[in-house]
Amino acid sequence: MKVSLKWLNQYVDVPSDLKAFCDRLDLTGTGVEGVDKVGDTFENIVTAKVLEKAPHPDSDHLWVTKIDVGACNVDSNGNPEPLQIVCGAQNFNAGDHIVTAMVGATLPGDFTIKKSKLRGVTSCGMNCSERELGIGDSHEGIMILPEDAPIGVPFAEYMQMSDTVLDLEITPNRPDCLSMVGMAREVGAMYREDVTLPLYELEEDSSLPNASELATVEIEDPERCARYTARVIKNVKIGPSPQWLAERVTAAGSRPINNVVDVTNYILFLYGQPLHAFDYDKLVGADGKAHIIVRAAGDGEKFTTLDGEERDLTSDMTVIATPENAVCLAGVMGGLDSEITEESTTVLLEAATFEHGRTSRTSRNLGLISESSMRYERGVDDNPIADYSAAAAALLAEVSGGSVCPGLIDVYPAPTAPIELQFRIPRFCQMMGVEVPREDIVDILERLDCEVSDTADVDVLQVTAPTCRPDLEREIDLYEEVLRLWGMDLVPPTLPSSPDRVGALTESQLLARKINRTLTAAGLNETTTYSFTDPADLIRLRLAEELSAGEHAAADAAPRLGEFAAASGISGDPVELINPMNAEQSVMRQTIIPGLLRSVAYNQAHGVKNVQLYETGKVFFAHEGKKQPKEREKVAGVLAGAMGDPSWNVAPAAFDFFDGKGIVESLARELALPKMRYRALSAEDAPFLQPGRAAEVLSGGTVLGWVGELHPLAVDAFEATAPVVAFELDVEALGKAARIARDYVDVPEFPPVEADLAFVVDESVTNERLVQCIKSAGGKLLADVRLFDVYRDDRRLGAGKKSMAYALTYRAADRTLTGEEVEKTQAKLIKKVCGATGAEVRG
Amino acid sequence: MAIVEELEALRAKTLAAIEQAADTAALDEVRVRVVGKSGTLTAYLRNMGQVAKEERATVGKTVNEVRNIVEEALESRKKALAAAELEASIDAAAVDVTLPGRVQQLGTRHLINRVSEEICDVFLGLGYTVATGPEVETDYYNFTALNAPADHPSRSMQDTFYVVDRSGDEAAVRGESDVLLRTQTSGVQVHCMEDQELPIYIVAPGKVYRRDVADPSHLPQFTQIEGLVVDKGITFGDLKGTLDYFCKAVFGPDRKTRFRAHYFPFTEPSAEVDVSCGVCHGEGCRMCKGTGWLEILGCGMVDPNVLEMSGIDPEVYSGFAFGVGVERVACLKYNVPDLRLLLQGDMRFLRQF
Repeated sequence: MKVSLKWLNQYVDVPSDLKAFCDRLDLTGTGVEGVDKVGDTFENIVTAKVLEKAPHPDSDHLWVTKIDVGACNVDSNGNPEPLQIVCGAQNFNAGDHIVTAMVGATLPGDFTIKKSKLRGVTSCGMNCSERELGIGDSHEGIMILPEDAPIGVPFAEYMQMSDTVLDLEITPNRPDCLSMVGMAREVGAMYREDVTLPLYELEEDSSLPNASELATVEIEDPERCARYTARVIKNVKIGPSPQWLAERVTAAGSRPINNVVDVTNYILFLYGQPLHAFDYDKLVGADGKAHIIVRAAGDGEKFTTLDGEERDLTSDMTVIATPENAVCLAGVMGGLDSEITEESTTVLLEAATFEHGRTSRTSRNLGLISESSMRYERGVDDNPIADYSAAAAALLAEVSGGSVCPGLIDVYPAPTAPIELQFRIPRFCQMMGVEVPREDIVDILERLDCEVSDTADVDVLQVTAPTCRPDLEREIDLYEEVLRLWGMDLVPPTLPSSPDRVGALTESQLLARKINRTLTAAGLNETTTYSFTDPADLIRLRLAEELSAGEHAAADAAPRLGEFAAASGISGDPVELINPMNAEQSVMRQTIIPGLLRSVAYNQAHGVKNVQLYETGKVFFAHEGKKQPKEREKVAGVLAGAMGDPSWNVAPAAFDFFDGKGIVESLARELALPKMRYRALSAEDAPFLQPGRAAEVLSGGTVLGWVGELHPLAVDAFEATAPVVAFELDVEALGKAARIARDYVDVPEFPPVEADLAFVVDESVTNERLVQCIKSAGGKLLADVRLFDVYRDDRRLGAGKKSMAYALTYRAADRTLTGEEVEKTQAKLIKKVCGATGAEVRG
Repeated sequence: MAIVEELEALRAKTLAAIEQAADTAALDEVRVRVVGKSGTLTAYLRNMGQVAKEERATVGKTVNEVRNIVEEALESRKKALAAAELEASIDAAAVDVTLPGRVQQLGTRHLINRVSEEICDVFLGLGYTVATGPEVETDYYNFTALNAPADHPSRSMQDTFYVVDRSGDEAAVRGESDVLLRTQTSGVQVHCMEDQELPIYIVAPGKVYRRDVADPSHLPQFTQIEGLVVDKGITFGDLKGTLDYFCKAVFGPDRKTRFRAHYFPFTEPSAEVDVSCGVCHGEGCRMCKGTGWLEILGCGMVDPNVLEMSGIDPEVYSGFAFGVGVERVACLKYNVPDLRLLLQGDMRFLRQF
């Protein structure tokens, strides 16, 4: 809300220190969003007097003038010095009082005055016309001021145009502050200053018929309208408003229209009471009377608002109507047919209050948010309406030459009663953590227009809240008022003294941190992508099949999942947004991979070849019959390119399946996941992965997720470049499998015996199988098996064969092994492994 | 006395050879030749038996003398040679220390999660626990239980994402839904008040969603941390002290805070908290738009209605709540110019933190 300090100052002393005033407003809850110094546009423009006027030596129409600007221009000794100004106007003489723009002034139109030479004569300013000053149309010559005008006074000050207008943020609980009177009361309470309110004496013209003879008012539904008043003002002459009124309305952010409309706006800004002025003659029915009915609009009823737009109404909206038709959309906007025009002579002045919820919905649904609707939306007090109507009528009569018919038509079915509250002083002080003196509490509440009285209990005040403060309904509401006005800054900071608390992370939070530590240690960079996603992402990822056109029409949104996608970790349907920002973000993600793939593509498109990303976050699965979806925490990663660019001493290899698996293995180690297994996934199991480079990750029998190279076609569908290695694991499953406590194992005391052994096997024999056989055959003495080489050579080993070389470590916990023992064990091991897998030992 | 003379000659010859040995290998050759198993001097020792009895004492003494001298000479020459050789090998091994090292890439945390964790840690230190809740919430937990008026604009389809209600309830079948993407993590607080024993000291970090078009200063998905304390005797002073401590811990000990009265439906009294500008220290600059202060969070004493709705007696218990935007904190601390960077996954951005 825009507040002119010049205007506000009429009702309460506004501090002269603007910065301090704004700070105080901010601290007490009225945010200052802007400060506009109105007179600033007239900087360096001053009142002046023409001392000399001589013809320009080189021109037949220019004059060389000496202009007295008082102390605004001084010589080197600090004495006033007249300015020499070349002037082309013809309407002035020496001795005239004029307005001069000095060097540095900026005139409307962004025209800045500089020292210049006009046909060889120096000119240090410009004598201004009204139009050049932007205050009128006259351009006949320069503006001539009265003879008694002072010299050397800033023009804005001389014209009393200097003003500061604050743009204030009024919180939704404070409808009272959407008015000058309310702000004056607020400032009075802030500074504990008295407030002088404006007074209007209404003189009714007893020679005119009583208002009740001219109009009737009926409220059909009191829930929609607690009070409706009407006055009739006759013999109105529509015309421009007087200067002061136009100025006020302008300062408040409105545009002067005519004297009647400006008065309604003025009263709205002054008291926060929206008014509506009807052209009475257009309301009069066949019986010569205006019959006003406040009623619900009909569904589908049409109504043309005064902006000329035809609106479709609903029964939630309230209209002001005559028996024939609607004439006003209550609290929102008047109708075109009953608006005040230049021909209007009789005004019916509505002052009413309408239910806030309906007004709010009506204005928002129609996109008609106005100064009136904004105030009704927050609540307009019904109690003072008669007074405000009288003030408006008095002012209207004054500025339009009209006469007010006797009597107020006042239909008031639902008066709002003031609320009685108790204020327990000790409880207040205890809760705020500060002692506030009783007299300060009483004073602050009274300055807010509360009635405060003592009760039998000396610690308890009886408080009647003013009806203009609908936010003061409970004792706590009064606490807030006293605290903010007494000063939040005066409350000493403390910490809660309770001993009953311990700060600790839960197991799952510790797990999350461990996952983050491990993945960053493995070189991955954490990112965040959108939780909303494109329903087509699952098709791109080859997890869902494209629907045929017919199916699309039938099952309007999400693609159905292929039954084969079990290994993807997706269960359930996508969660659909009812009001997405766009189609590409219309469902909640079921896997993190598409978001990460988009980031891979983004990086690759921007010349970043090496990408190592991971994200931990929720995925969402909807289920029929369930209100809320199932949310599961996943951790997913993508690798593209290599861990870094080649350096003089390091050449990172291009990422492949084993980089992804290595990360999963590191995670398994850190979380002490038992019995880790990697099961090859077929094309049917995981169509989104490249067959042959895809594995399910298990701990014992529990599926944790998957790791693999994404299918080149899926990568391509996201406009990224393959290969992209990825994994996605279920965090809850990781947490369940993770072992928090690890068992201690004795550090070996006796030396190991190491032996290398290479088996030549068929391609179909997996490392897992071989290691299983080796371990079981090696028995207790075999402490460790490490694969150190895989070798293929069609000529030497034969086609379809590979050599798997293992470093075996034998050790006994209680003695040094003898060579014989080891040889015996190894011979047995070779026999068993070869027997079980068809392997041959490579000599 | 020919043997003694021979020994003297051998000594002189050997010492000269030791002196001339150019490296440890040559020196070792001399050692083997003279005092090795079949060395020339060793032969004298071994053949003592053949020396005439009367000469034996003199010869023996001489042999031992010579051996001691030779061995001493060998030892000292060996040390000298070893030192010289080590020096030479060190010289040869010198590298250009400005060549890059063998670095293993360490990954990075996302700026927002890093800051979020940092904030949580501050409150862990104050004895709070970290609470989480669902991102898809019901209207009740996101709005109603937090005292938001029924027709509050934030509840509109304009501002809040609603999702399809799959419950099969009649309203849901008609297409209405009271299931939404949470717009604040406050729902977690309500769950805590309903489910947890008192007192409550929690912070609730997490993603929230609002229908804003992504631009440099808005994202439809961002991160909030809300705090809630419910205990006996909690004061507004406790709220001030706690947030003052928080701001200093996160922004630095020299930063000041100020509380501006404000309005939120779920707290009363309510305030917004500013932290003094770190660029101009309160003088006013471009960063703080000339005010000297940066708005950082909203807070207040928990509204008694909110406590009552969760079955807590506001006459016995009081509390405070606060909410801070993690993106806001991160941007103020790191001057991130465009919030969209936070969701792009640009490696060049992520690896800065």
